[in-house]
Amino acid sequence: MTVNAVPRPGFDAELRAGLAVVGGMFPPTITPELIDFMRLSYASPPMNDLFRQHRIDVTDVVLPGYQGGDLTAAVLRPRDAQGPRPTVLYAHSGGLMFGDKFSGLDLVLDWVSDLGAIVVTVDYRLAPEFPDPYPWEDMYAALEWVAAEAGNLGVRRDRILVAGASAGGGLAAGIALAARDRGGPRPCGQLLDYPMLDDRLITASTAQFDGIGVWDRVSNRTAWQALLGDRRGGDDVSAYAAPARAGDLSALPPAFIDVGAAEIFRDEAIDYAGRIWAAGGDAELHVWSGAFHACDIFAPHTSVGRSMIRTRNAWVEKILAD
Amino acid sequence: MQELLGRIARLDPNSSLGLRVIACFDELIVGNVNTRALLAAAASLAGCTAGFRESGSQAEMRVSPRGEIDRSQALTPRDDLLARAGDDMLVWLERDEAPLANDAIILERLALAVRIRHGRGQREIDNRRHLGVLTERTSSVEERLDAAGALGLVAARRYRIVAAPLFAVWEGRPSGPEDVIGTRFGPIHVVVVPEIFEPFRAAPGGIGIAASVHGLDRSFRSALVALRLCDPPREPMVVADDYGGLIELLADADDDAQHDYADSLTLVAQQHPWALETVEALVTTQTVREAARELDIHHSTLQARCDTLRTGLGFDPLQGFGRTRLGTAFLMHRLSRSTVLDMPAPAAVPG
Repeated sequence: MTVNAVPRPGFDAELRAGLAVVGGMFPPTITPELIDFMRLSYASPPMNDLFRQHRIDVTDVVLPGYQGGDLTAAVLRPRDAQGPRPTVLYAHSGGLMFGDKFSGLDLVLDWVSDLGAIVVTVDYRLAPEFPDPYPWEDMYAALEWVAAEAGNLGVRRDRILVAGASAGGGLAAGIALAARDRGGPRPCGQLLDYPMLDDRLITASTAQFDGIGVWDRVSNRTAWQALLGDRRGGDDVSAYAAPARAGDLSALPPAFIDVGAAEIFRDEAIDYAGRIWAAGGDAELHVWSGAFHACDIFAPHTSVGRSMIRTRNAWVEKILAD
Repeated sequence: MQELLGRIARLDPNSSLGLRVIACFDELIVGNVNTRALLAAAASLAGCTAGFRESGSQAEMRVSPRGEIDRSQALTPRDDLLARAGDDMLVWLERDEAPLANDAIILERLALAVRIRHGRGQREIDNRRHLGVLTERTSSVEERLDAAGALGLVAARRYRIVAAPLFAVWEGRPSGPEDVIGTRFGPIHVVVVPEIFEPFRAAPGGIGIAASVHGLDRSFRSALVALRLCDPPREPMVVADDYGGLIELLADADDDAQHDYADSLTLVAQQHPWALETVEALVTTQTVREAARELDIHHSTLQARCDTLRTGLGFDPLQGFGRTRLGTAFLMHRLSRSTVLDMPAPAAVPG
């Protein structure tokens, strides 16, 4: 009667308490049968009051995605700002299978209200209905659109940050790679919050957090399978879909990478930062003790959550602020 | 987290948000977190600033739902949003509008947690502690009697413990003392019911053996094993009585001990997709013919499967103690692979 004999770092006490509340709404283990449930439970609540409180104007836009398909996106703009603004292109979380442009966006609003940045957040198309390369090609198309429309949008073309959380972090890393290789618009930075980078599920941390927390090996396999189908884990996976596959991490924009010590993405995030440094690049890596995946979204009031948010915002300020 | 509670309530109208609040503060108490963290959790759950004041030292702290120290002008604490945490400590929530459904339980648990954090309350027993005492193996006879008395349980009667995860879906709720108990499987919702109880259903849920107030720890352990044997929707609830004393043996088995024949069954199950349903049919029927009927296969097919099992397991599953060994291995295999406490209740989702 062995009960999970794998040793692993424990969760912080405040975060354990948060998990006791979250339990079941975001199950630790997501199988393909649960995708519909997740689309319901992870759908973002109405945000209008929050936008109003933060004095943020929101414009819904439609832009051409991969192969010209229509994408919806929202442009969030500080009501009081003047002149061309630094801009964040944001890819939301949700395992590439669920979530929408407003998922987890509370934390991003600080950049608009405190730093005067514009945020463009995109409804990239979701797997499994839209498998690879739709999600990252959609995000890449959005990057090109923001750069091309910079004048109309009031965006400073030289100061576009690509950012995302979890699956969105993987997409942000992917389009930074694609922009380098295709000679596209060069982002001024890439913000990768606990990013989902590797379809191979091979690290030690991938095996350590099975069946607990909010994202485990099975959920991760479900997500990558939805994106890549039978190609998952094989030789035919593009680095833009799974950035851990990239052989060359040189000449990328400065990276901020944060990750929990108690989550499955820990080792792939650390490895990605390490390989950016090895290639002579600029990366800032934070590994938060006791933190489960996306704990800043689920429990922003906790000591660990506040530290994550504060540290991340300080980096964004350094990269973006006037 | 207030917004998360709201979403949980919308997704699953049966969910007991109050129990989630209790489980949340249980973790905070066990984790021995500081006053700010306690206030931050309360504020985050309530969606408004939470405050604390100690009259002796004049210490005061107010924390916002985002966990920041709130330095704005405090609202005057209202009687209906206030709780006393011992003689000289107050906690409160700052709301303009009427109290919300969970405010009372948030305040009660916050007060308890603050009292304990400040070293003034470990010995004061509240309801949560009573059920904790009754389900704890090491409690003394006197402690059990005190706790049972405080909960209105009678020493001459027999009761059962019902165990379910916080996300269980209930149809009909048994009435009886209830609480959340921290276990190594996470917080578990526990209800004490009489030996003979009104029908109800918790999916998943485990019902323990009947015991006097002195044996409710055994009932709890058997209820936990029963719960972990659930396999909803096929088998949403398990009653420990159905397995006689076997569940009690399993409840007291050492988790770290080697169970080679359970491991052999796991190997056989990996090699043969038919293995587990076949074993289940064998251990729940009297004869090979009956098991074959149950499985809807020819008995010679079953005989061939039994031969394969004998080779894989290293003993004859049909001879002497073989049946018992097979049954034990089967239950151990199910326990070691139980995911019933990890999963949500997607059945509760509308549409």
